[in-house]
Amino acid sequence: MEDKRFDEVIAELPSTFRPVGEAPYDEMWKNIEAAHFDAQAARATSRGRVLGVLPWLAAAATLLIGIAIGRNTASKHSADAGSSTLASAAATSSQPTAQPSADAYRDETTRYFEQVTGLLIALPNPTGPDRFASAAGNSRLAGKASDLLVTTRLLLDSPAAQDPKLHGLLDDLELVLAQIARLKGERSKSDLDLIQQAVEQGDVMSRLTSAVATNPSAD
Amino acid sequence: MNDAQLISRVIAGDRLAGRELYDAHAPRVYSLVFRMSGDADKARELTQDTFIRAFSRLAQFRGDAALSTWLHRIAVTVVSNSRRKEIRFRREVSLDEARSVAAFEGRSDPDLKQSIDRAIENLSDAYRTTLIMHDVEGYTHAEIAEVLGVPEGTCKSRLSAARAQLREALAAYKE
Repeated sequence: MEDKRFDEVIAELPSTFRPVGEAPYDEMWKNIEAAHFDAQAARATSRGRVLGVLPWLAAAATLLIGIAIGRNTASKHSADAGSSTLASAAATSSQPTAQPSADAYRDETTRYFEQVTGLLIALPNPTGPDRFASAAGNSRLAGKASDLLVTTRLLLDSPAAQDPKLHGLLDDLELVLAQIARLKGERSKSDLDLIQQAVEQGDVMSRLTSAVATNPSAD
Repeated sequence: MNDAQLISRVIAGDRLAGRELYDAHAPRVYSLVFRMSGDADKARELTQDTFIRAFSRLAQFRGDAALSTWLHRIAVTVVSNSRRKEIRFRREVSLDEARSVAAFEGRSDPDLKQSIDRAIENLSDAYRTTLIMHDVEGYTHAEIAEVLGVPEGTCKSRLSAARAQLREALAAYKE
């Protein structure tokens, strides 16, 4: 190709190289609005709702944790009673209650982290061949995410979230789980891409792994 | 309303301000993303991703560069990341599929337009982005340098090298 012709080819590129057609700007805006503003509003509403029912929620959480602690302590006591001396049983019963409570929160948080990790691993790769899974599969993932979202919000308002690192992780997980919970019917590549981006940007998987490692079960 | 006012309203959750910002920048962002990706569906998804990412990071925008430059930088990053993911995925296709793709690509193609398309596609990321931004989308070297975060001189040398490779790829055409 001669120089002159090549210069013409370059000059014609704006009109010949992948000419841009009309884009569905309104449709794109709706998706952007749903992904950003609706998610933001839902987040604010859920926070407001949580704050509004906080006294009830706190009471319920305390009750649940109390039952868990009771069961935990009772089973430990009964195990001890069978194999230990009276002296060691007395020593066990005189331990402060703060330790079992901390253990219960730690157990619950670790179990929750493991479940979230499992869910994120089960999520298909947006560029992989399994990205268009069945509607039933999507609903199952969305249902699981909704359940975990409730636990996330309870944990966010519990003493478990007093650690700023854990609080930050729970905040990010709340966002990711809210996105997964919205998956309905045919999953689009865009939805999965957004979820994957949220996971990657927040470095969620490695933070989860590290949280499980540093927050082991109290068993 | 100026960019700074729009930005603060979007951060506060104002949808109308968000739409105004989107309307002002979406056509140019979409055009760049479409030229870089070459597929309308993909361009739509990547444009959406660009704005969603931009809105969620708007609080981090310090105003050192123009908002359009910042947005276009995000767009280029989004397209490059998507391209990398595709390349990674393509590497995972079976050997048979790879052979059939190679056989298809090896056929001689008399269409100059398709050859130009393929030659540009085969350029490295940096060369292709620079050539598309300058020769197709009409960005100045200063604008490209700001978007890509490289000196203007680097931009000029990348464009020159990209054109040289393109010329070499199209050397067989005599018309």
